[in-house]
Amino acid sequence: MNGHAVAAIDSVSEIEESICRHARYSLGKAWNDLSSRELFSAVALSVRDRLVDRLLETEERYRRDDPKRINYLSIEFLIGQSLGNHLHNLGIRDLYRKALNKFGADLEAIEECEEDAALGNGGLGRLAACFLDSFATLGIPACGYGINYEYGLFKQEIDSGYQVEKPDNWLAQSTPWEIPRPEQACLVPVYGRIEHGVDRKGGYNPMWMDWRVLIGVPHDMLISGYGGRTVTPLRLYAARSSRDFDMQIFNNGDYFKAVEQKIASETISKVLYPSDVFVPGRELRLVQEYFLVACAMRDIVRRFEQDHGRFQDFPAKVAIQLNDTHPALAVAELMRILVDEKELEWENAWIITQATFGYTNHTLAREALEKWPVSLFESVLPRHLQIIYEINRRFLDRVSITHPGDVERIRRMSIIEESAPKQVRMANLAIVGSHSINGVSGIHTELVKTSLAPDFFQLYPEKFNNKTNGITQRRWLLKANPALANLISSTIGERWLTDLYRLRELESHSANAGFQAEFRKVKRSNKEKLARIIQDTASLRVDPDSLFDIQVKRIHAYKRQLLNVMHIIDEYLSLVEDGRQPAVPKTYIFAGKAAPGYWIAKQIIKLIHNVARVINNDSRASQWIKVAFIPDYRVSLAEKIIPAADLSEQISTAGTEASGTGNMKLALNGAVTIGTLDGANIEILEEVGGDNMFIFGLKVGEIRTIREQQSYRPWEYCARNPRVKRVVDSFSSNLFCPDEPDLFAWISASVLDANDEHFHMADFAPYVEAQKNAGDAFGDQDRWARMAILNVAGMGKFSSDRTAREYAREIWGIKGSVVLD
Amino acid sequence: MEIAVDKIDSIAVAAVPVDELDASNAGEFKRDIAPVLQANTRLVLDLSRLRFVDSSGLGAMLSCLRQLTAKSGDLKLCGMSKQVRGLFELVRMHRIFEIFGTKEEAVQAFKTQSGKAK
Repeated sequence: MNGHAVAAIDSVSEIEESICRHARYSLGKAWNDLSSRELFSAVALSVRDRLVDRLLETEERYRRDDPKRINYLSIEFLIGQSLGNHLHNLGIRDLYRKALNKFGADLEAIEECEEDAALGNGGLGRLAACFLDSFATLGIPACGYGINYEYGLFKQEIDSGYQVEKPDNWLAQSTPWEIPRPEQACLVPVYGRIEHGVDRKGGYNPMWMDWRVLIGVPHDMLISGYGGRTVTPLRLYAARSSRDFDMQIFNNGDYFKAVEQKIASETISKVLYPSDVFVPGRELRLVQEYFLVACAMRDIVRRFEQDHGRFQDFPAKVAIQLNDTHPALAVAELMRILVDEKELEWENAWIITQATFGYTNHTLAREALEKWPVSLFESVLPRHLQIIYEINRRFLDRVSITHPGDVERIRRMSIIEESAPKQVRMANLAIVGSHSINGVSGIHTELVKTSLAPDFFQLYPEKFNNKTNGITQRRWLLKANPALANLISSTIGERWLTDLYRLRELESHSANAGFQAEFRKVKRSNKEKLARIIQDTASLRVDPDSLFDIQVKRIHAYKRQLLNVMHIIDEYLSLVEDGRQPAVPKTYIFAGKAAPGYWIAKQIIKLIHNVARVINNDSRASQWIKVAFIPDYRVSLAEKIIPAADLSEQISTAGTEASGTGNMKLALNGAVTIGTLDGANIEILEEVGGDNMFIFGLKVGEIRTIREQQSYRPWEYCARNPRVKRVVDSFSSNLFCPDEPDLFAWISASVLDANDEHFHMADFAPYVEAQKNAGDAFGDQDRWARMAILNVAGMGKFSSDRTAREYAREIWGIKGSVVLD
Repeated sequence: MEIAVDKIDSIAVAAVPVDELDASNAGEFKRDIAPVLQANTRLVLDLSRLRFVDSSGLGAMLSCLRQLTAKSGDLKLCGMSKQVRGLFELVRMHRIFEIFGTKEEAVQAFKTQSGKAK
């Protein structure tokens, strides 16, 4: 491995010296006075030295080779902890462990001192982070661009079963992984008005007047690839005021107003929006999105101009991928740069722009698509609105030619929605301005083509393509589950670390009793560790021999944590009222955050806690069922929960989850999936086979038919099945909320409503059946071990390395690189 | 602010005497440049010292240009830092000002223009 070559230049004594030097000279502390956090900092700074060397080598290599540069724009990067990841990627983990042992320090304990960089909400942000790992591992010349939020996703605490949000000031103690680059700060004008004038040649010259200026200061977070050959920056921008504060106001005696202006500017990068769905009308969010785009585009153009003269070459040297529509303003910003600043003709600028951008769609829910009121847009970005109007005029002229007289189609495809108030449709801008539009799983891409953007698919069929999401096996197996990683490597070698398809070789070991025993031993050990975490965080003792049934993800109606709870209630009531025991003892484990303004999701968290309280305190159930909610789900916690899972809950309503990546992480760690035919579950099924998953529920086509025929009658399920009725009645009977009567009555009404978008009642009985099958299978430990091993073996496709290669070849046009083969 | 003015032939060359021209001092600049605009029709503004300009600062320069063109004069700019030049381009003001690297080039441009006019 290249990583070992890196290690060869280091020795334990050099590492000891390096850590001591940073403790003394970077932190200014005597060794004996170091706190645990400071010891982490000294270790991390020592690792950073090695990363910086490789960063400079990588930059030199790219400068010499002048490859096409990939720029990944994302409003979120959910990085998590970095120390362990870097140590693995650089191949120096054992050396650091030995060095720290000499000081009497424990590497794992030090790693736990690192704050998560929680600069994202969930899947979209974590996907971006996995991609960066893969780009660096594959040597794809890529740079991520994002925002250096001062406050990451809130910390979740639980008070009496209710979620309480606490600020995540992750930068309070500073992070060793970022290098500030104030000398590369850029100016970003916002707000103002357009003054329509003429230039010196008599041409129309719209001037942007009365703007306010923000300063974007880049901070480079270092991203290492496996093997240590490539280290690339994730460039995160912090907003700063153009001056400390307005001296004029200050001189006039209004100190506080002067400071307020400075604070207002710096608010732009202060907080990550804590929701993965679009909330309309949030002016700060629009400014935030433009801030990211303006800073990124200025940096991308600056780098291009350093080595290249003609903008005609821009698409040959630069690719920009838009991770959802949040950075879609980049289309208008590049047009503005090319037309206004570089004085290119509109037609040329448009060809360059389209050839440069690719857009990744992440959602099918129309209400989740970003739209900004024209009046707000004009106030914040007056020049960009002009440009968007011109893009739209020319685009609709084209549609009018291909579909003359089809006014309705033109209305649907327009970038400007002619509603009251008028709105700018960011997805339409992204689609029109990009040469590639991709979904993130096979079924999602088909639904993008057929139901989300069918007009655009008819117009540009060649633009649409699928790139099924992936995850990096270096974080989600090597780092998260070292015992399983060791077992795999000792069985089939280490090549799976950079070629996950190698896991297929485990198939031949799946029925081997010795391998199964080793596999079970690893799982049991991981479950014991998780049991301790549950004891510590949820004050609940659970049995590591029970089936660990795990649903960890954002709390959201479409992900149907409620369906999971309904089954738990059924199983509990069947036990205590009917005397019917589950096939095996079970521990149901939940974790996830609800957006602070999302009432239903927060109610679901409360419901889980209340159901847990009743069941966990009922002696009749204690041998059979436990329910745990582990607070403050985040990347570092996921790394501990996922390796302990037996059963992976992926039960979203069919047609709602674009891909999911938690499903991949859990299966890679030897969990068997119980799930619907939704998102990437379908492709997991193709890879691991129907015998090794528990698939249930309505399919996308069936749901479409029910909706079209308006034939959903949820109350009929109740009438037909007394067990179903008993579960529904439990919500209105206050069984789970004796102290707060009627707290959950809304759930009965909701699941019995013909408009329940998530078809809880229709899927309930099939889900109960699938759960029964899973319990029966778990009772046969040899069978279960084989299924779990075959899940691991089938995960080759779901490496983000595969996804990254597909983007590189099929969207960005990178060919011929050794690392890509 | 004290604005030093040189005369090269009949062309006035004034240096903007601050590092930052923004809302805090744009009014003062407009006030203090006014006599220069009254006394001259051909003006070169030397921006060599300027490191930052905001929309008020740009507005003040635009006001100078308009006052001079109203009496058939002109304003040329020189000595811009990369950052200031970038801001001019960002808001398309580079299309209405004539911008030169040095004051000598700007003065020469005025001379060439008047030569052609003859």
